[in-house]
Amino acid sequence: MEDGRREIDKNLTLVARKPCFGLPTACPTCLPVYIYLSFSKIPFTLEFNSIHPDSDQIPYVEYGDYVAYNNEKGGVIKALKEDNTVDLDSNVCDVPEWISTKALVETWLGDAIKYELWVGCDGKPAHEIYYSDLPWPIRKILYYMKVRSVKQELGITSENADSREKEIYSRAAMAYGALSSRLGEESFFFENRPTSLDAAILGHVLFTLHALPETSVLRSTLLEHPNLVKYAEKLKSEYIDVPHSEPSPSSATKKGPSSWSSKPKRKPKREKTEEEKKFRRRSKYFLVTQVVAILVFVSVLAGSSDDADVELGDEDDGFSYE
Amino acid sequence: MENVRVEREDELTLVARKPLFGLPTACSTCLPVYIYLKFSKIPFTLEFKNNYPDSDRIPFVECGDYVAYNNVNGGVIKTLKEDKIVDLDSDISSTPEWVSMKAMVESWLKDAVLYELWVGSDGKVAQSIYYSDLPWPIGKVLHFKQVRAVKQLLAITSSNAEEREQEVYDRASMVYKALSSKLEEESFFFERPTSLDAVFLGHVLFTLHALPETSILKSKLLEHPNLVTNAEKLKAEYIDSNSPSADPSSSASNRGPSRWSSKPEYKPPKREKTEEEKQFRKRSTYFVACQFIAVLVFISIFGGLEDADVDDDGIYE
Repeated sequence: MEDGRREIDKNLTLVARKPCFGLPTACPTCLPVYIYLSFSKIPFTLEFNSIHPDSDQIPYVEYGDYVAYNNEKGGVIKALKEDNTVDLDSNVCDVPEWISTKALVETWLGDAIKYELWVGCDGKPAHEIYYSDLPWPIRKILYYMKVRSVKQELGITSENADSREKEIYSRAAMAYGALSSRLGEESFFFENRPTSLDAAILGHVLFTLHALPETSVLRSTLLEHPNLVKYAEKLKSEYIDVPHSEPSPSSATKKGPSSWSSKPKRKPKREKTEEEKKFRRRSKYFLVTQVVAILVFVSVLAGSSDDADVELGDEDDGFSYE
Repeated sequence: MENVRVEREDELTLVARKPLFGLPTACSTCLPVYIYLKFSKIPFTLEFKNNYPDSDRIPFVECGDYVAYNNVNGGVIKTLKEDKIVDLDSDISSTPEWVSMKAMVESWLKDAVLYELWVGSDGKVAQSIYYSDLPWPIGKVLHFKQVRAVKQLLAITSSNAEEREQEVYDRASMVYKALSSKLEEESFFFERPTSLDAVFLGHVLFTLHALPETSILKSKLLEHPNLVTNAEKLKAEYIDSNSPSADPSSSASNRGPSRWSSKPEYKPPKREKTEEEKQFRKRSTYFVACQFIAVLVFISIFGGLEDADVDDDGIYE
């Protein structure tokens, strides 16, 4: 009984962006976290947050009072490792090849996905993943702002756009070649067991294969390495497509990944407070701008009507003189 | 004799930013290119350009009509390799380990230096490398713009500044640790010098010599003595060694590296000059246009006031 309660206490919840394209979560940042937790075989619930889809805090993992946000401590996986909650990398994290391969995936492949999603494609996957639940004008504005910030992060300007695109794709190609050579026909990249490196690579590959359109240059470059595709599909059927019951607070289950929950349930107090604060700040700015606009209008109007009165006054004086 | 002529015609010139801190060129982008050419043992001349220190084209390599700019085609080293002018990586560039180490050094360590140079320190080092030859106000403005650009590149905002700083330094530490384990007591990572060694050596020398004692990045590097020792050894062997100059005017020499030229002599190629001239003309046009508009606005306001006086006079008559 005590064990059962401990397991209930340890129930992790992963809050991610919604599923799409046949993936449990369609967002390229959320997917590796989902996969990492699946690899760890720790039971967890998957919930979705569609209200603030552009929030940097998503994905986050809750575990009792503990929360690990995406935009803190270097990300969810890193936080889970450092806090010893879920650490799959304990024996490999000092191996130079493991570190360099992780860097390769996070930088060259990470940049390639960012580019393809926000600049290289027509924007349909991005809208689908992040903004489909928002009204059209807001969606357009947020998308435009995100594209701008991605270009700044990738150092893309109007002068070097072609050059940078070529560089990004060529680095991705080198990365795929290197990963393909390293993997061979193995099931995992290191020590024949899953680590956060596999979570990152699998997330990347599944996203590229399923979410990006067929016209995507990145996708076609990936398809040139069939062993990577096979690796991804095999792990997907083993860890992601496995049917399982949705864990409820009543019965603790020892089994692997949790099922998708498609109810947009929220939300821990901390996140609510942050989102509330943001909303309050934004409404304050809006009110202030309205008040200023009204004041300006009133003063202009008053100014012009005063002038008119003064002119009338002068004319009256003129009449009296005559 | 014919050989000599061919060598003279084919002689490379590397145009970089000026030397400082005991380094042949103090700029962290120019130094790896310099080292790469040294590793290749091809004779080349080093020249300096101080007129447009913030230009993205520097460093560039010239060889007759051929030019390889920093901001074209992924950089000078990549261009030299692809055009088969100087390729040290020919049989190693498909090795997975080499590729992943190159990615690690070119992203995480490059980010760390960018951060340290423009955000993490007081800016004195950047000032001396890039803006010391410009008048103070222009230098200040350009510095400010560059700091802003680097923050955007590193996705640093006021809310995540501390997090990002921690992440940048942590990643640099991981890289140093991995490379230190990989290198051990060897001279190169893969039996002979490749562009990976050039980029990393440039990084280490810059971090050791250019960054101040207070630099966190520098202190993290110093935790790995084998990296430091190896860098100093390679510096003595390839950079500090005295050799006859490779002056185009004198006889061409078959021997290795050229010596540093410390005269701020620059011979910009026509192409580059035209671009810089265009940029200058554009900037001066904007300046003149702004002045003109300001004058017009002033006159119209002033003229407006005068009209009011005339009106008043009219009414009373």
